[in-house]
Parts: sequence; C-alpha cells; structure tokens
Amino acid sequence: MSEEIAERKLRAPAKAVKSFSLLRVWTIATSTVTQLVRMKTFYFLLAFAVVVIAAGNFNIPSTPAKELSMIKKVSFGSMDLFAWLFAIVSTALLIPRDLEDRTLYTILSKPVRRIEYLLGKLCGVLVVVGVSLLAMWAICSLVIFSRESLYVADEMALIQEDGRYGAEEVEAQIALIREQGLRPELGFAVLASFFKAAVIASVTIFISTFASSSLFTIITSVLVFLIGHAHSMAANFWLQETENNLFVQLLLKLFKILIPNFQIFSFSEGIVQGEAVVAALVGQMGALTVGYIVVFLFLSLLTFVDKEF
Amino acid sequence: MSVPAVEVKNLTKVFRTGFSKDYVVAVDNLSFEVEAGEVYGLIGPNGSGKSTTMKVVLGLMAASKGEAKVFGLESGAIQARNEIGFLPENPYFYKHLSGVETLRFYGKLCGLRGSELKDRTVELLQMVGLEEAAKRRLAGYSKGMLQRIGLAQTLIQNPRLVILDEPTAGVDPVGSRQIRDLILKLRDDGYTVFLCSHLLEQVQEVCDRVGIIFKGRMRREGTLNDLISIEDQTSLTLEGASPELLGKIHELVASEKGTTIIDEGNSRTTLERLFINIAEQKTEDTDQ
Amino acid sequence: MNFLLQKVPRFVLVIVVLVVFGLIRSPIEDHIRDRLVKANLLLPPPGKTAMEQMSQSALIGTLGGLRSLVSTYLVLEAFQHFSDKNWDELHRTYNIITSLEPNDETNWVSFIWHIGINATANMQVDESLPQFERDRRFKEYAFEGIEIGERAMEQLPDSVKIKTQLAEIYRVKLDDKCAVAKLYGEVRDLDGAPAYADRFYGYFLAECPGREREAYEHLIELYHENEQNHLPSLIATVKDLEKTLEIPLIQRIPDPYPDIPGRPPK
Repeated sequence: MSEEIAERKLRAPAKAVKSFSLLRVWTIATSTVTQLVRMKTFYFLLAFAVVVIAAGNFNIPSTPAKELSMIKKVSFGSMDLFAWLFAIVSTALLIPRDLEDRTLYTILSKPVRRIEYLLGKLCGVLVVVGVSLLAMWAICSLVIFSRESLYVADEMALIQEDGRYGAEEVEAQIALIREQGLRPELGFAVLASFFKAAVIASVTIFISTFASSSLFTIITSVLVFLIGHAHSMAANFWLQETENNLFVQLLLKLFKILIPNFQIFSFSEGIVQGEAVVAALVGQMGALTVGYIVVFLFLSLLTFVDKEF
Repeated sequence: MSVPAVEVKNLTKVFRTGFSKDYVVAVDNLSFEVEAGEVYGLIGPNGSGKSTTMKVVLGLMAASKGEAKVFGLESGAIQARNEIGFLPENPYFYKHLSGVETLRFYGKLCGLRGSELKDRTVELLQMVGLEEAAKRRLAGYSKGMLQRIGLAQTLIQNPRLVILDEPTAGVDPVGSRQIRDLILKLRDDGYTVFLCSHLLEQVQEVCDRVGIIFKGRMRREGTLNDLISIEDQTSLTLEGASPELLGKIHELVASEKGTTIIDEGNSRTTLERLFINIAEQKTEDTDQ
Repeated sequence: MNFLLQKVPRFVLVIVVLVVFGLIRSPIEDHIRDRLVKANLLLPPPGKTAMEQMSQSALIGTLGGLRSLVSTYLVLEAFQHFSDKNWDELHRTYNIITSLEPNDETNWVSFIWHIGINATANMQVDESLPQFERDRRFKEYAFEGIEIGERAMEQLPDSVKIKTQLAEIYRVKLDDKCAVAKLYGEVRDLDGAPAYADRFYGYFLAECPGREREAYEHLIELYHENEQNHLPSLIATVKDLEKTLEIPLIQRIPDPYPDIPGRPPK
C-alpha cells in the first residue's frame, strides 16, 4: 500500500508566510467593519440625529448664545456617550461570538497569529467608532451652523429695528453669539471622545478574552468605565468622610493603579464650553491613549495566546 | 522517503476540571503517522479523543506531553497552518458574509491577493457548485451549501494537507456520496487527507489507512484490508450461475477437508445505494 | 518570556503588568490632569454637597463623564420647577448644576435670579400662604440669593454679570444702596464692564449715608471727563449732591435740573 501511495503525485509545499502581517490584520479589521455595519449598528446615528435636532428646538426662554451653548452641550455630550457605549458593546460582541459560533476555529487554523486577530478586531471597532464620530460631528455641525445663522439673522433684525445701537455694539452682540457657535476647535472635542472610546475598547477586548459571555463583558466594562471616572470624585468625597480610614485610602489607591483614569479623557467638556485648546496637551492625551491601547492589547495577548478551544 | 504529512509522537492531553485536582486524560500516549498523499481516517466513538488530537495537529491546543508535526513543522507554527486546510464538523463562518466574500476573506488570511485570489475563488465556487449562490449571504445557505463553502475555504490556499472533521455527519446520502467522491478526487490530485469520523461504513470506502482510537489510545491501525478482512474466509459472487454449477461447487467444497460454506444466497445492495439510485433516476427523469 | 508564560500563573502576570503600568502612568496622569484643570478643559470634581444631593441617574451620568449633558438636563428640570414655583426643588437642582459646572457663569446668574428675584417676587403675591410666612420666606429667599451670589463670586471673581445680578437683589429686594454701590464699584474695574457701571457706582454711593462726598467727587470727575457723560441721571444726582453738600455756587455745574421721565421736577 505504501508503494502505491509513494507513486502518487504530491502537491507542492505552500508558499512561505510572513511571521507578522499587517495585511492579515487589515483583513480581519475590514471583516469586523463589515460585520458591525451589517448588524445595522449605524442606525444609532438616527437616534443621535433626533437628539441633536430636538436639542436645537428646545423652546426655553433664553438668549441665543445660551441656546447655542445648550445645543453644543447636548450634542457633544450625547456624542461622547454614544461613542464609549458603542465601543463597549460592539467590542464585547466580537470575540465571545466568534468563540460561540466556532468561527474562531477556522480563522486560527489559517496562518493567523493570535495578536493579529486581536489587533484586527480592535482596529475594526476603532474604524467604526471613528467613522461614527465623524458622522455625528457632521450632524452636530449642521444643526449648530443652521441655528447660529438663524440667531444671527434674528438678532441683527432686532437690533436694527431698535435703532439705538451703533455698528460696534451690533458687532459685539453678534460676536457673542458666534463665540458659542461652530468653531474648528470643536474637532478636538471629537478627538477627545475618540481617545476615550479607543481606551475603553482596548479594555473591553482584554476583558472579552477571559469573559464567559458578551453580557459579562459589557457589564464589567461599563463598571470599569464608571469606576475609572470616579477616581478623583471618590478620593474627594470618601476621604473627606473617612480621613483616617486606612482601608478606604488603600482601596482608592488600588483602584487608581489598576483601573484606567477615564476622567481625564473628558476634556471635551471644556472645549465645548469655549475654553482654548492647548495642542500640546491634546498631543499628550494622544500618547497616553496609545500607551493604554498597547498595554491592554498586550494583556489581551497574555490571556488569549494559549487559550484552548 | 517524503516527510510524513502528520506525525504524532507520544501525544498526551490532560484537561483539568475547574479549580479542583480532578483531571481528564483525553489523549493518552498516542502515536501515528499520516503519509504524504494518503487518505487516513482516525475513527472512534464520541469522546474517544479524535477531536482533541485533531485540534493539537491544527495548533488550536497545546499537547500536555509529546508532539505533533505537520510536514516536519511544529503543529502550532504559522507555516504549518499554511499547509493545512481544515473543514470543521459544522462549518461556522461569518453569516454576514456572502459565499464569495467568505472565500476572499480566508484567501487573504492565507496571503492570496489580486487576480490570484479572484481566479482561485471562481475556480473553487465552480468546483463546489455554488456559483449561483456566491453573492448570497451565508445566513441564507442550507446545511449542504455551508458544507460545500466550507470545503471551498479548506482548499483556498492549495494546502498539501486537508483535515476533515466528521465530513459526512448530518449530510444526506446523496451529499455524503458526493463528499466521498470529492475525497477520492482530492487524493488523486495529490492532497493528503486526514479525516476524523465515527461513521465507520462511510470511512471504509475512502481511506487508505485507518487508526482506531478508543478512550484516548490507539487500539488498532493499518490498511482496511489488513484490519477488516477475515483471513480464513473467501467471498465469491456469481452472476448467472445455473443450479447445476452451484451443485458442483457444493460438491467440491464438501470434498475438501476443513472447508465449509458459511453463507449462501442472493447478493444484497445497501439501502444507501438504493436511495442514491432512486435519487439519480428521479433527477434524470426531471431533466428529460 | 516562554519561561514566564509556563511557570507563572497567567492572572499573576496580568496583575503585575497592570500594577507596573498603573505606577508608571499615575504621576503622568496627575500631571496632565492638573494642566487640564488649570486650562479649564477639565472640571474640578463636584462638591460633596452636590454628590449627596444628586439622584442616582445624575450621579451615574456624572461618573460617566457626561457632566455637561447631565447639567443641561438639570437646567430643563429646573425650568420646570420654576414654572411650578417649586423654589426649594429649584434651589436643590441649581446647587447640583453649579457644582457640576462651577465655571459656567450663566448657571450662577440664573441661580441668583431665580432665588433672589423670582422666588422673592412670588412671595409677594402668593396668597396661599399667610402674610407672616410670606414675609419670612421673602427674607429667606433674598438672603439665600445673596449667599448664592457670594459663592458665585468666589468661584468666578471676575464675572460682571454675577455682580450686577447680585446688585439687583440688594437694590430691588433689600434696598441696600451701599451694598449696590460696593458691587458696582467692583464691576467698573472689571474687563467687559458696561459703560454705565461707573455712573451707577456714583448714583448708589450718593444714596449711601455718609458717602455723599465720595459720590460727588466721583460723579464730578465723570462729568468733566467726557461730554457724553452729561446724562440726565448724572446731572440730576450731581445737582442733588450739590444741594446736600452745600457746594458753593461757583463750583456747581452749569446745567439745570434735567427732565427725567417719572421723576418729579425740582
């Protein structure tokens, strides 16, 4: 029998494959994007558009500047909320679902490194989050710009009708409205939301490598996010109550070390309120974001590299 | 002598149950080889260690002891996985992808690009008969269609070794026959096929060699002839034999010391062959 | 690395990496955080009172980094309390709003206005309460408004609007001209102060007992500084002060008493 087999014409060996391939990472990333898009996740943008348009039509007696400020706060606040929530939920669905469906078997039986798989999944989520943020920013900008134009026109008509104010005063009044309107610096607020979403996505991917289900991943990630936000507030609040309580102090320090500090990623609020943007600080936040992603990807690899299926 | 396609040496796999000290030995000191170019069947009942062995060969699991190699390479190595095409028992693929997108996805993971990937995709879709359903999402595929797209992705990068896990489980007799024909064709095309199954009758028709595994250990191994032929019995099937001829044969046997006729009667086809004949006949009638 | 992966339990490695990373990033994050707070890009944590008063959902929203969103929602809620004339709830809500966004001038101004002006005005007309109770609450709300204004000034010492709104409480509700004058005195030195701040300082100082001389000198200086300051109110106040202080005729301004609508001619 062996002679018979030996006589058979055999196939040529496979081509050599790269030890690490960005193209394989990108293949998994684009597949993830397709998956999330075809899950109709972008429909949440419709809900966001409704929120922003509603905010633009609140009829509370107020000055134009204050109304524009409110529209911005609601829009960018909702944008921030959608971004981090979407990052958690979409990331939490990926690996557990691949495990449950056993799609992971067929992927990892191909020449794909586990780090490529993790990186591909994370990149896919970040692409979707980034595109969503850009779409939301476009919607916000449209609403703010249209309201700003309307307010400026109304205000100018009112002032001119009154007749008592000079050109300088008119200009000052219009500038007050424009100060709360559409400004290019608001792009940094969008960037801040993206940084926050990127960090929580990398934390979620880490949790999903050892979690038993998507639900557990989502709940744990949300808890981590809330605790990560509460560092400073908790330190202020509880330390005032329990100044000499060593246990509470140690617990707070432990949380601070183990859990990411999400509060500092909320600097979008200051930008939305009209504060000047310090480019160097934004750069530092970007570097910190990259640091978080690298570390949590490494942790994900630690738990995932010899996980058995 | 070519390098064996699969080489398993003293493989042991132990699973610990939870935090307790209890453990399960799924595979116990298993050794076997699959020669390049042959069809090898690893057969055994459910829970015998077939899937565990296969997963170690695929690199999805690490051995507790021993080793597994694919064409001389460590089974977990990335180059080894490029030599393997794997068809799982119930092929689960991304349901949001269409047939052609699935093949393109797996092809890209194996390093195929551009026109090479496109041509290969078209070729495989034709081979498995899914050209018309190529653009439909896998969520709308039947089980048989999923099996066929699974087979196509198995061959996407032209691997030397094809691993099939229960390839005919849950498939109707016609589909089952097609898969077996395909396995034989793969063999003729130079692929090495390593399959795991508990459907013994179906394995019988395609394998060059078979290993029987039970409770994690290899119990018997060899060619089918060696394993299942009853050495001191001979079968003879006659067509159009007259009663006189049969009488003469009876006398001849009776005159020979130590030889008896154990069984006699009309040959029987199998239910499966009958089913296939009826199905093929119905298909022909419909075509006419 | 393989040795570590094989010999050390995985969760131990994970904890070690998290701790090391935490120890490295903590001082960096503290430094960045301080710079962000200094640049007003990051809000300081809400005060203890606010934390205690917040409802669960507001707290979660705040912890989730949605302070602006929560605060905006609470502004809408406060408007409802205003419509319902539920002053205590409105006070509680604005306490949280100003704690969440302590640098937002508009919220402080609204807070002062609602409690110091609207609530007190409501007490003057709310016939569902006995007169004694109305009088008592009027005073309470007025002083609460002042307390809020002082807190606001501590937070935003350079805010013109906060000082002028506080001045309104003193002027309309407590008739404390000296306090009004003091506030306008502070306002006139601030950036963005309205042109009338200087004049108002003089007007109210003139009505503060014992400060008439000071008021006269200030208003005369304004009068001589610019012809545009020769406004009816300024001229009338100077004329009154000239009489009160018995300024020699030769030193008095030449303008006659102006006709100010609503004010009886002298």
